[in-house]
Amino acid sequence: MFEQVFFSGLALGSIYGLVALGFAVIFKATDVFNFAQGMFVVCGAYFAVTAMSILQLPFHLAILFIVGGAALLGVLIHMVLIQPLSGRPMLSVIMLTIALSIALRSFIEIVFGPQGRSLTTPLPTGVLMLGSVRISYLHLTAALVSWVCMAGFGLFFRFTSVGLLMRASADNHEAAVVSGVNVNTMNRLAWAIGCALAAVGGLFLGQLQIASTELEGIGLLALPAVVIGGMQSIPGAIVGGLLVGIIEQMASTYISPKSSDVVIYVLLLLILLVRPWGLFGQRELGRV
Amino acid sequence: MAKTVNTPQSNRAWLWLVLWGAVLAYLPTVMTERALFGIPLTNTQLLNLGLTQINLMLISMLGALSLNYLTGCAGLISIGHAAFFATGAMATAIFDNQLGLPFPLVLLAAALAGALVGTLAGLPSLRVRGLYFVLSTLAVHYVVTYVFLEYQFKYFDVVGIPYATPRIGSFEINTPVRWYVLLLPLVILVFMGLRASLKSREGRAMLAMRDHELAATAMGVDVRFLRLKAFGLSSAIASLAGALFAYYLSNVTSEAFNINFAIQFIAMIIIGGMGSLSGSLVGAAIWLLLPSIIGGLSPDSGSNNEFLNKLLVENRAQLVQLIFSLLVIVFLIFAPGGVAGLSIRLKNRWTAWRNAA
Amino acid sequence: MSTVLDIQHLSVAYNRKGFALEDVSMQVPQGGIVALLGANGAGKSTLIRAVTGLLDLHHGQISGGQVHMLGQLVSGMPAHRLVRMGMGQVPEGRLVFKQLSVEDNLLVGAAVLPRSQIKDGLDAVYHLFPRLLERRSQAAGWMSGGEQQMLALGRAMISKPKLLLVDELSLGLAPLIVIEIYKQLRVIGETLGTAMLVVEQNANLALSFAQSAYLLQQGRVVLSGSAQEVAASPEMKPSYLGEDKTVKGTA
Repeated sequence: MFEQVFFSGLALGSIYGLVALGFAVIFKATDVFNFAQGMFVVCGAYFAVTAMSILQLPFHLAILFIVGGAALLGVLIHMVLIQPLSGRPMLSVIMLTIALSIALRSFIEIVFGPQGRSLTTPLPTGVLMLGSVRISYLHLTAALVSWVCMAGFGLFFRFTSVGLLMRASADNHEAAVVSGVNVNTMNRLAWAIGCALAAVGGLFLGQLQIASTELEGIGLLALPAVVIGGMQSIPGAIVGGLLVGIIEQMASTYISPKSSDVVIYVLLLLILLVRPWGLFGQRELGRV
Repeated sequence: MAKTVNTPQSNRAWLWLVLWGAVLAYLPTVMTERALFGIPLTNTQLLNLGLTQINLMLISMLGALSLNYLTGCAGLISIGHAAFFATGAMATAIFDNQLGLPFPLVLLAAALAGALVGTLAGLPSLRVRGLYFVLSTLAVHYVVTYVFLEYQFKYFDVVGIPYATPRIGSFEINTPVRWYVLLLPLVILVFMGLRASLKSREGRAMLAMRDHELAATAMGVDVRFLRLKAFGLSSAIASLAGALFAYYLSNVTSEAFNINFAIQFIAMIIIGGMGSLSGSLVGAAIWLLLPSIIGGLSPDSGSNNEFLNKLLVENRAQLVQLIFSLLVIVFLIFAPGGVAGLSIRLKNRWTAWRNAA
Repeated sequence: MSTVLDIQHLSVAYNRKGFALEDVSMQVPQGGIVALLGANGAGKSTLIRAVTGLLDLHHGQISGGQVHMLGQLVSGMPAHRLVRMGMGQVPEGRLVFKQLSVEDNLLVGAAVLPRSQIKDGLDAVYHLFPRLLERRSQAAGWMSGGEQQMLALGRAMISKPKLLLVDELSLGLAPLIVIEIYKQLRVIGETLGTAMLVVEQNANLALSFAQSAYLLQQGRVVLSGSAQEVAASPEMKPSYLGEDKTVKGTA
């Protein structure tokens, strides 16, 4: 039983890690705490619904549609909303992303209706038995794809020249500018990636559950995940996501289904009081 | 002690006060009889409003005022405001439903409970700041609402906690007019009290702390104490509002105090103008008017246009949310000072124009 | 074009602080080394920001005049484009990427180069500043001030710019290091023919290094000429000694 819970937690946690990674990329690049990340997950699920059920695209084109659409959304949001607010106080930026999430949510509910829509894709369903543990193929695929995406991003970030430029922009904005880096482009790229990663998460969560705006709550778990892992740390976000996934499943099973949120946020509170820079982050000079 | 002089400015202030007082006092009559000085008004002219919504607006004004005091004036960003409303509702359930205390005492108990929870919620500010502190308020929200949820499920019903009609002595507050008579002076009192607090020495120290903490500390201000006090006061008012909210709706479930509930208040103070108490009142009023205006548009649209029908009737709640959030975004980008900031700009332009003429 | 940098009647204002530069004109000839002198707040950094396209970042605008580089109008262009056009920038404060390694720092500067030239570019910088080669995989944030300055310089030079703008190189550095760095700057000037505009508070040092100089006071050019002429002029004495009583912040 424990292994069962653990493995589901790991599988879900991989998806959370993906969403948290997207969040961390946005935060590292533009210093924006994107409260709309949960809605980006929902957008991904609805991009999938549009592609599969409405446009009836073949699956590989649907993937392109989802990822491309999300990337475009991220770029647009940066251009129209984030860039004008650069340099403004934190509450403005936080509230902007919150208002954005509400706007997205109501827009989606007007267009698609408030109830969820089922999402069917050619992704494998069915169950695999490993000893006494049942693992659904969907969970496995989701975890695998998430890991591939995360690894892919890691390689991109570490080893390509564009990745280097992104790291430089995040390190010191002005230094990047004087080195000839088009920081605006880097920031748009960060938002495109952050949104696209969340959208992939939404594709899987939409099929694992149902494509609805309720998925926002799950997507929002990326926030505590990133904080627990360490806000400025990319690997920290991933580990944070895994932890949150595992803890969520454990709390859901062993305490009560409604308690999972609270347990995670209590953990968040503890981390904030004891080690605010997260498990993998570095202590910053002075109080944050 | 300066002598009070009858300057034209203070005379004008008195005039405004009398005018507003008259309007507010006459309002219930207009709303109940749907007529102004005997001339009947259509629904559209009344903006589709009734005293019920006005009362809800008054309660939200308490929420907006308390949040603005905390965030706009003390500089403590909090997205956990719903938690304190929940505290008030829970305190009411304990002290009224379970312990049977009289209404005024229940309100007091709710405020005290709010102050306690608020002070506790403010403790992380001693350790972390900025973004991390905002997250701690989010965590507080989840913890408190969970406690409320468990309490509700254990002692009451899954559907919600029922609340009795409040009464003072044998006088029951069971009509919108009576609620109005209770709420309006309360809101005015809280507004004036917070205003006075901001003008006091401690209040000004708090504003200094918000603007430049290092400088304030250097001047000998105990920022930690001030912060906790601000949190306590703000939460006490919010908790009081929560208790009134519970009584007013007569049935409340934990779902009512979700994150969206807290976000509404942040939206109100942004639109109204952060740091401006009167702005909070405007923000709460706009939040109230918007659904009514949109509701008023739907019958007129004639329902021939299917698209408009879908927009205005089927998904009216979502449309309101959409417009409200877009409004917040527009304000954030173009008018960061909110309505209060805009009115100051307008006033400056008006004075400049007058002086030039 | 014999003039690499041509500033004509430039005026700059900051959003909240009023005028910082008024009607400033100066030229940097091909292969020339020009020093920009003046006390704190005279407007030297403002001028550099106006030329390098960084005014926006610091809440200022060009309110009059023009800047040309190699015959092309560049005033108002964003900074990253100017770098690509051949303007190397070494702003004050050293601005290295603290969390990236030395080599990565240089690679960022080399991003404007075609891939085939990157290795040669790196080698050239390491040749110029052997200390950077020693520390090539270290995080830049851990290096000393002098090494960081060399890194900032190397990063700007790696793309072989035609014009190099250096702002307050000596601030916070030990005199010996400063002299060493200026020596390397001279080498760069002689071997590559890079034109340079150097802002330097240490007037003595600047005048011994540069060919010509301009003195700014309260946003205006009050003195210009060859380095020797400027060094000998009576106006230099008070600025040099820091006795200038009229020195004020902008507006």
